[in-house]
Amino acid sequence: MDLAARLGRFELLVVTGKGGVGKTAVAASLGRLLAAAGRRVLVLEVDPRENVHQMLAVSPSGGAIVPAGPRLWVQNLKPRQVLDDVVRERLKVEMLSRRVLASPIYEQFSAGAPGLKELAILGHALRLLRRRTGSPGADGRDGDSGASRDGNDRDRRRGGNLGASRDGNDRDRHRGGPAAPELDLVVLDAPATGHGVRLLAAPRLVSEVIRDGPFGALAGELAGFVDDPERCGVVVVTQAEEMPVEEALELQAALATQLGRRPELLVVNGLFPPLSPDLSRPEIFDPLLDEEALKSARAARPGLVPETPQEAEMLTFWRHRRFLNERELERLARFWEGPRVELPQLALERGPELTAALQQRLAAALAAISAPPPPSPAPAVPTPPPAGPPAAEGA
Amino acid sequence: MTLVSDDHPLIVFVGAGGVGKTTLAAALGVASARAGRDTLVMTFDPSLRLKDALGVGEEAREREVRVELEANGLLDASLLDARRTFDRLIARYAPDAPARQRVLGNRYYQHLSGSLGGILEYMAVERLFEVAAGGRYRQVILDTPPTRQALDFLEAPSRIVGFLDSGALRVALRPWFDENGRLKAAARLGGLGRRAERFLDEVVGLDLLRDMAEFFQAFSPLYAGFRERASQVEDLLRSPRTLFVLVAGPGEERIPDTLFFARRLLQAGYHLGPIVVNRVHPEPELPLAVGEPPPGLADGLALLAWLGARDHRGLVQLARLLADDQPLVELPLRPEEPTDLPSLADLGAELEDRLADWRRRLRREA
Repeated sequence: MDLAARLGRFELLVVTGKGGVGKTAVAASLGRLLAAAGRRVLVLEVDPRENVHQMLAVSPSGGAIVPAGPRLWVQNLKPRQVLDDVVRERLKVEMLSRRVLASPIYEQFSAGAPGLKELAILGHALRLLRRRTGSPGADGRDGDSGASRDGNDRDRRRGGNLGASRDGNDRDRHRGGPAAPELDLVVLDAPATGHGVRLLAAPRLVSEVIRDGPFGALAGELAGFVDDPERCGVVVVTQAEEMPVEEALELQAALATQLGRRPELLVVNGLFPPLSPDLSRPEIFDPLLDEEALKSARAARPGLVPETPQEAEMLTFWRHRRFLNERELERLARFWEGPRVELPQLALERGPELTAALQQRLAAALAAISAPPPPSPAPAVPTPPPAGPPAAEGA
Repeated sequence: MTLVSDDHPLIVFVGAGGVGKTTLAAALGVASARAGRDTLVMTFDPSLRLKDALGVGEEAREREVRVELEANGLLDASLLDARRTFDRLIARYAPDAPARQRVLGNRYYQHLSGSLGGILEYMAVERLFEVAAGGRYRQVILDTPPTRQALDFLEAPSRIVGFLDSGALRVALRPWFDENGRLKAAARLGGLGRRAERFLDEVVGLDLLRDMAEFFQAFSPLYAGFRERASQVEDLLRSPRTLFVLVAGPGEERIPDTLFFARRLLQAGYHLGPIVVNRVHPEPELPLAVGEPPPGLADGLALLAWLGARDHRGLVQLARLLADDQPLVELPLRPEEPTDLPSLADLGAELEDRLADWRRRLRREA
């Protein structure tokens, strides 16, 4: 089995990395790649500003699940919205829930309670995935076309305990109500705040603080889901520069110590092309400022020595950037323990063309790596016993 | 315009993650000290190399550390660590040891990995205030957390004041729980109370609420001072003398991000100084070479040319979208990130140079 096939077997892939390394582009192309391989994939974005839609050439989703190709959907998720919906569906009285939602205590709680947003994100992903196995017959119909938008009765019943039956269609769509397709896999473009570790550690943290009730049960269930190395995987994106590499290595260490697991893949994005051996020889560069030396170098190596001072300057620049890349690649080769693929910096604007080009390169790189044997389940942290009844209903 | 000036005793660097804020803040600190001014750079998450360059280590989390720099002014650096500031503050303000232990030992406090509605971020601003009030520095340069949430961080003081004034705190401080850990009101209110208790227990769990209530109560002796300090910090950040430098990444695709930040800053009543588009790839004079570049050169040069053209387009477009009197400068991408004091000094000087005649430069660019 190659690595692409192994990635396709997960239910949730968390794509994480420092801001500005091309995380969204990688998440989008990974989503396309896995959809092309036959999985039904949702690329889930958690960012106040939408970006994924642009990478996949669809209009902004405004929170809805939007089809973006065969077996491919995108959604931009607002964690706060998910929390508000939970309150609405637990507090059946409209007036009461309005008052709770408007209260400063709730405001503080939802903004500050540790782990709550992370729980909302993961819970949303798990709930969408669960539709797949739910009510046979009612689901098959959606198939590849996915987003049937008419909320008919059957769909409403299905979504009933998610609060989908009471209010407007907008919220239904946001919560993955009637329009939600069946999914095999969610690719989560994780928020760039801090480490993805925080996202993955949240269920355990919350299940320690809240032991009972639906939140406690949900947290326990999500902790089990996230800890399962067969169901939930981590993909780290970085660039071969100091800070992003530092962060990727820290992430690797934190995943090992806090969650007892390893990332499935490291994607090193935005690499400058290597210089041909001829060009990386220092004597090509050293005489650049010396007209005479330059002339003789040109004569000795026609076609390989820059013609103009500007070309020379840019070549120097290129060599420095590539040198920086190689220094960090070397560091990764020494300290990164899992599989690793490299993607070049491409001369393409953010958009579907870039996504397609990255997808192609990613596919080639992944096919060349055979999947490591499935890891044994997280040994470092004991899994808590299932807390209370399953949280399938409600939260 | 210039940033190294007594008109701006506090300069705050903001911007999305990965655009080079921290390096620029350090570079401006070096420039300020070289101009003979005692300067403090407060930063969040510097790279190892930058820490090395400034010569500061972990001890900078506890106090200001002197940077070994040959300059007429002194340069100090400190690392902001919200959690440590918070712990220290509790140690300082808690009326007695048991009260301190109650807060530090509170499960809710221990699990505050993120923030309690901004209280942790607020603590970092507290430290800034201490420094500003101390008056030891002619210029303080503040780096902000390396995320889009930098603005949440700035809004922390007003959020705290809002929270303290909202009555939520009074509610939180009421003795909600009896000695058996049951909701007191639940017993009094009969059926409705029991329903409320059941709801709370189901949704968040009474355990957590008990921890939170305990936390607020243990923390309450600190609130009066907090409120006052918070509004003073807010005044400090909104003062016309406090200037915000917005650092942006190059390229057209970053423009919406940059405008988003600028708008939020202005709406919140902060004073936006220059926008610095950082790490702009050198622009090629097209055509790059006559005819086809030699095969060995083609890939890299074509890529660099494309990046240069992209960044330049972005710059022109951003200039078009901004008001005429909005200072906007670009800083070129360097082959190497500045990682020692001389190269930081160089970068700081270049920033000041470009700011000095930003109007002329911009006209030429357009």
